[in-house]
Amino acid sequence: MKKLLIVEDEEALCLLYKEELEREGYEVAAVNDAEQALKALHREHFDLIITDIRMPGRDGVELITQIMGQRKDIPIIINTAYQSYRDDFMTWAADAYVVKSASLDELKSKIKEMLNP
Amino acid sequence: MIEKYRFLASDFQKEEQKEMVILSIISQSFFQPFSIEDNLLVILTALTSGSGIGFNRAMLFLAEGEKLRGEIWLGPSSAEEANFIWEVLSTPGIGYIEIIEHNRALVSRGADSLSQRIKPLVYSLNRQDLQIPALAAARREVMLVREARNEAAVDRPFLDILGVDEFLCIPLFSRDEVLGAVVLDNAITRRPINFSDIKLASLCGLIAGNYVSTASLHKKMIEMERMAALGEMAMFITHQLRNPVAAIGGFTDQLLKSPNDEARQRRNLEIIRKEIKRLDDVLYRLAHFLKVDMKNELVPFDLPPVLRSVLRSPDIRSKSDGYEILVRFEEPFPKILGDPTYIGEALRNLLDNALDATPKGGQITILGHAEGKSQAAVEVRDTGRGMTPAVREKIFQPFFSTKEKGMGLGLLYVKRVMDSCGGKIEVESEAGKGTVFRLSFKSAEEERMEA
Repeated sequence: MKKLLIVEDEEALCLLYKEELEREGYEVAAVNDAEQALKALHREHFDLIITDIRMPGRDGVELITQIMGQRKDIPIIINTAYQSYRDDFMTWAADAYVVKSASLDELKSKIKEMLNP
Repeated sequence: MIEKYRFLASDFQKEEQKEMVILSIISQSFFQPFSIEDNLLVILTALTSGSGIGFNRAMLFLAEGEKLRGEIWLGPSSAEEANFIWEVLSTPGIGYIEIIEHNRALVSRGADSLSQRIKPLVYSLNRQDLQIPALAAARREVMLVREARNEAAVDRPFLDILGVDEFLCIPLFSRDEVLGAVVLDNAITRRPINFSDIKLASLCGLIAGNYVSTASLHKKMIEMERMAALGEMAMFITHQLRNPVAAIGGFTDQLLKSPNDEARQRRNLEIIRKEIKRLDDVLYRLAHFLKVDMKNELVPFDLPPVLRSVLRSPDIRSKSDGYEILVRFEEPFPKILGDPTYIGEALRNLLDNALDATPKGGQITILGHAEGKSQAAVEVRDTGRGMTPAVREKIFQPFFSTKEKGMGLGLLYVKRVMDSCGGKIEVESEAGKGTVFRLSFKSAEEERMEA
């Protein structure tokens, strides 16, 4: 079973992603912040990382880069409410960029794409 | 030793060279908050009055894309009227408002006759056989036309409307743009156009071109700034709405897919309800921010009870649980001037920030004291994380926030409230130590003394 790591600070969304992606047949670990994400990455192996980016000034893009530093060759999807980060070169290292919307279809199909190239 | 001079139109008396008077009036009109049209009208007036350059009539064409279009035709119906207008313009001490009123009246009087007649005149700026006035504009050359009826570059409709055989055409242009042209004639007096008229008119044309290009650049810049601000606002709001919308959409889809799981239904509906509340909050805060009415009447009122009711309000009360909040007002604390509702909201914003910035168990102090006879100050101090200079510089910018769910409108709101009551807001902050916001109000005592 493919194992996903989800980094999402919104509790409701964290729950939603966990449930929906488990229903798709993945094993899902969902954490609320980058610190926990780094710990989880240290502890176990994941096949894919899905992470939010938060506002600049608090933990913004820098923490993403840390995760990216640790992920070795694990593909990463940025899933965020901020369309503007798409143009930020720090996010170019991500394998996909999904802007949050009322539907999970895009995220789900991006995950499939990543895991079955 | 320093001698200072401020030149006004009235300093240029009639014995002064008329060129000096004309240029001084034109250049000063640019500093007035007039529209482009009004300022061009000043130039046309300078060109057409007896004690000005003295042309009888001036026709203004402005470029619009690849075309030159007839806009204004300023021509007194008689030489006396032209003289009178210029007399008015060069009267010592006359205000620009009067000048403009005059010009407007003149144009609207002529609107039915002169200006209307040239509105249908449109000339292409990019064809092979350019016609006057497009020819002069495109070539950027001053052209004196004599025996116009024999001139191929002057078309019939133009000649019929103008009705004279001799006229001067001056181009209006900037470094990289053709902006228009002015056509001048002496249809009433039939006086031949001489070299000094041409020199002075050309100079006015250069100034007008310069002015039109600067003014339109300025207009463009303001528009761009406005668009940028609007874009920033739209961006920020979409961010704020996207997370709740994603949650609502996702949990609704779950409901639709598994209609029989009652426990989950209940849970999802509760989550959806909560997220809708967030959307509502975003809208409330936006609407609230947009609502501050700057022209509100200032009333004297007691601040401490307003503050108490803010502290007692449910949201602040639940948020301040676990904090030590000290309130100290030095007696006597004067009544202050402002709108109690807005000022209460401003204090709520500051308290909300202080609570967000300070870890639980921290202390927030609100101090009030009179400052002299005419002012009173209130300080909101926290012992929170403080701000770096870089953050402090931006706190009054719209949509700047250090909070994940902040709108970036709170402090701007406070500032607007303070501006609207003639007060001010100051901030001192040190990263790691805390922040002090100080509001200075006008106190009502001063009001009484003035009365």
